[in-house]
Amino acid sequence: MVSNDSLPMQVKAGREGFTLVPHPSASFDSIMDYMRRRLSESRDFFHRSNMILDLRTRHLGSDEIQALNNLLVELSEAGLVEVKISDDLSMSVQGSQHKRAGSPSSSMPSPVEGGPVIVRSTCRSGARVVSTSDCVILGDVNPGAEVIAAGDIIVFGSLRGVAHAGATGNRSARIWALSIEPNQLRIADLVAVPPRGSKPTPKRYEIAEITEDAIGVTTV
Amino acid sequence: MAGKTIVVTSGKGGVGKTTTVANIGTTLAKKKYSVVLIDADIGLRNLDVVMGLENRIVYNLVDIIEGKCRMQQAMIRDRKLANLYIIPAAQTREKNAVQPEQMKTLCAELMEEFDFVLIDCPAGIEQGFKNAVAGAQTALVVTTPEVSAIRDADRVIGLLEAAMLHDIHLIINRLNQKMVKKGDMMSTQDIVGLLAVPLLGVVPESEDVVVSTNRGIPLVHDRGSRAGVAFQRIAARLNGENVPLDDNGAEGFFGRMKRFIWS
Repeated sequence: MVSNDSLPMQVKAGREGFTLVPHPSASFDSIMDYMRRRLSESRDFFHRSNMILDLRTRHLGSDEIQALNNLLVELSEAGLVEVKISDDLSMSVQGSQHKRAGSPSSSMPSPVEGGPVIVRSTCRSGARVVSTSDCVILGDVNPGAEVIAAGDIIVFGSLRGVAHAGATGNRSARIWALSIEPNQLRIADLVAVPPRGSKPTPKRYEIAEITEDAIGVTTV
Repeated sequence: MAGKTIVVTSGKGGVGKTTTVANIGTTLAKKKYSVVLIDADIGLRNLDVVMGLENRIVYNLVDIIEGKCRMQQAMIRDRKLANLYIIPAAQTREKNAVQPEQMKTLCAELMEEFDFVLIDCPAGIEQGFKNAVAGAQTALVVTTPEVSAIRDADRVIGLLEAAMLHDIHLIINRLNQKMVKKGDMMSTQDIVGLLAVPLLGVVPESEDVVVSTNRGIPLVHDRGSRAGVAFQRIAARLNGENVPLDDNGAEGFFGRMKRFIWS
């Protein structure tokens, strides 16, 4: 019997679904081979289950995560719902519901390219949220937290940390928040620091966007 | 009867974790609860100094965990209160001498015997923090009204939530009401708004704290001290008693009047 620790990928069953923990020193090919074998052996067992990928001990690139997800979808119609990146940061996978939403697995859509990343909690100092499309934060972004998105950023709360919209160079990206009082704002290649002194409190919300090669904040 | 394990943490150093542990622990012991205080700051112990028990240390936390002594041998009884004990940290060892799992076991054992187990967490978010937090069900986050302390408190709250510890309360220490009124210091409301965790109490800035620390007698023994009274109220709230939050005008006499009128 091979010890569980030496497998390229540990599969742990839990209440929320299965947690996948890749071995720190296993190659990506061996992980893929192992998962392919494991899924084909017991296809019904993993059928349509929710998978959480735990990357706290081993890093995987976004293309590798995508390849793994494709394999899961193809063989078991299972899908990654969440990727744990560090102790205090986990990302819901694009287009899928975050696990805290408590969505039933039957209505679990398979991940769609380009769906927004939704974070259903306050982003505290030290947290870093990255999205390859848009990003929605249901809570505040506190000083010391970073939100980076290739598309727009929408914060249903106060934005006090760092936000970078259009991170891949999209200059028409915008940042919405109920209140924008950040450490720093970035849109595409531009960086802005809020002026010193107090500003009027917004009645509804604020939008940051690029106008004439500078980032401006409009209070609505 | 199983007790309660409470960790007192802050992220930043020097905001008053040890003072908080000493005073809350002493107050609870005065209320006839059995209390044990654990100094988890291995390598930089100072809870014993604040409690005035420095010269009685024979064994320490690491000795218990390594099985070099029985738990009772390392527990030092307070000079005034018979139901208050402290377990000192080791001065000559490093933080990695203890593992989170071992702390969990130790806390579980202590909870069998004591009503309250209070853990004094070291500053920082490394191994020592993980050890201190491992066995706790409740966390008290101490901050001062300074931007740097609040930033660290925010980070620590995030880490506590990630460690599945959701019973988190905030203590604001060293608030200077005069400076808040002049607009030179962040107010209680600003801090609570930012950190978004329930407030357990506010301790005013006071010179008494330095005096009591140097003498090794917790503030709550001194009846005239405002900071001591604030700590007593915090301990009462922690114990589930209904004490209104009016320590520092956060919700003063008029606040209560308003509530009375509206209710």
